[in-house]
Amino acid sequence: MLLPLFLALRAISGDGDLIERLQKRDPQALAELYDRYGRQVFSIIFRVVRDSAIAEDLVQETFLRVWNRVQGLDAERGSVGAWLLTVARNRAIDYLRSTAGRERNSLDVEETTHPALFCDMEQGLLASDKTRRVKAAMEKLTANQRTAMQLAYFEGLSQTEMAERMGQPLGTVKTWVRTALKSLRDELGVAVTS
Amino acid sequence: MNCHELQDHYELYALGLAEEPERSEIRAHLNRKCEVCMPGVKRALEAAVLVGTTVPDAAPSRKLRGRILASVGAEPRRAVWSTLWAAATALLILLAVLFARRDWADRRDMAQFTRAFNDAAEDARVQRAEVARLTEAFTILNGPDTKEAVFGGARPRPARGKVFLNPSQGVLLIASNLPQTPAGKLYEMWVIPKAGKPVAAGMFQSNTDGSAMHVRPGTVDIQATGAIAVTVEDQAGADQPTTTPLIMAPVEASPR
Repeated sequence: MLLPLFLALRAISGDGDLIERLQKRDPQALAELYDRYGRQVFSIIFRVVRDSAIAEDLVQETFLRVWNRVQGLDAERGSVGAWLLTVARNRAIDYLRSTAGRERNSLDVEETTHPALFCDMEQGLLASDKTRRVKAAMEKLTANQRTAMQLAYFEGLSQTEMAERMGQPLGTVKTWVRTALKSLRDELGVAVTS
Repeated sequence: MNCHELQDHYELYALGLAEEPERSEIRAHLNRKCEVCMPGVKRALEAAVLVGTTVPDAAPSRKLRGRILASVGAEPRRAVWSTLWAAATALLILLAVLFARRDWADRRDMAQFTRAFNDAAEDARVQRAEVARLTEAFTILNGPDTKEAVFGGARPRPARGKVFLNPSQGVLLIASNLPQTPAGKLYEMWVIPKAGKPVAAGMFQSNTDGSAMHVRPGTVDIQATGAIAVTVEDQAGADQPTTTPLIMAPVEASPR
């Protein structure tokens, strides 16, 4: 019963010490990273590939990728959890694209996992109230908006590919995506200046 | 394009879905550490991470943690312990039975014990060999200079998987959907240079579920390698491929 509270408190406490130990190649730090985020990483990848054996292979690749590239993450300001989950999602999408023979290559998703992008994020983001708010925002979307978001996030479809999949005009799909993203932004309190 | 025009595309960029020219423009703004776009994309990445937390909870197998730790060299210690544990367990069972039935002195029973003990020792040997093989494989997977090649991606059958090439550690092939080879035949892996004849890289058999993992330890010149192939050959192996490759994974020079 106290485990979720303990995990939440640990997540809130920040990743600085953990990142430093990962950078010193401490295998125990990797074990701790897995204990802290492994289940979330698996859940995301499994949602994308829908095959537990493949998902486990990709989870392993994800952790190895982070282990090999953690030197680029700022130990004081970096958010290893957010970085890890982004690498996980991108690795899974990359797998889907390669098995589907889709033209888009891994460069699209690789460039969004640069460690420099995961500095100065909110501490304890994954244990914050924002997770609940995003969930609530997703539930408020219309069915089409939610489908478009899911196709984007969990299948990595471009808006053109979404339009084909959903049998809808591209302009309509773009509107759904734009509206859904705005809802999320509003829910998270991000100023929309456009 | 200015930052104002790009703001609506931050989230799509964060998801790897932005289209041109916005994608290149955002990348350019990030490269020059644009004070508007950098925090904007970070917020979009945060939002994308949060969307990821909305998925239903799913649990991996208990073995996965050990696999991941093994891949960075933390597991061999556990593997050695597990091997020792298996041997110690076998010994304890042997002693327990010996003490329980001291009248078991006839040679037939002792022969059974001997066989059981030898079986346990063989299991431990097989386990050690498998650990060594997995260690080789993970060393290749873990190498920062390892290159990756994909085969059979567009077709779910007959075979698909990946090849990992590490210049100092060797070649690792992971495949699925491999059909069972005919009697007397095995799979043979080939390193095919861009110029010259294929070089044999070891024989292997697929598992009953069609999966296979094969390691050819040693150095490999990735720049000079055009592809990794697999053919079906006689058990003794062949100097050159004698059948049409079942797997042909082109090796590109780009890093994985």
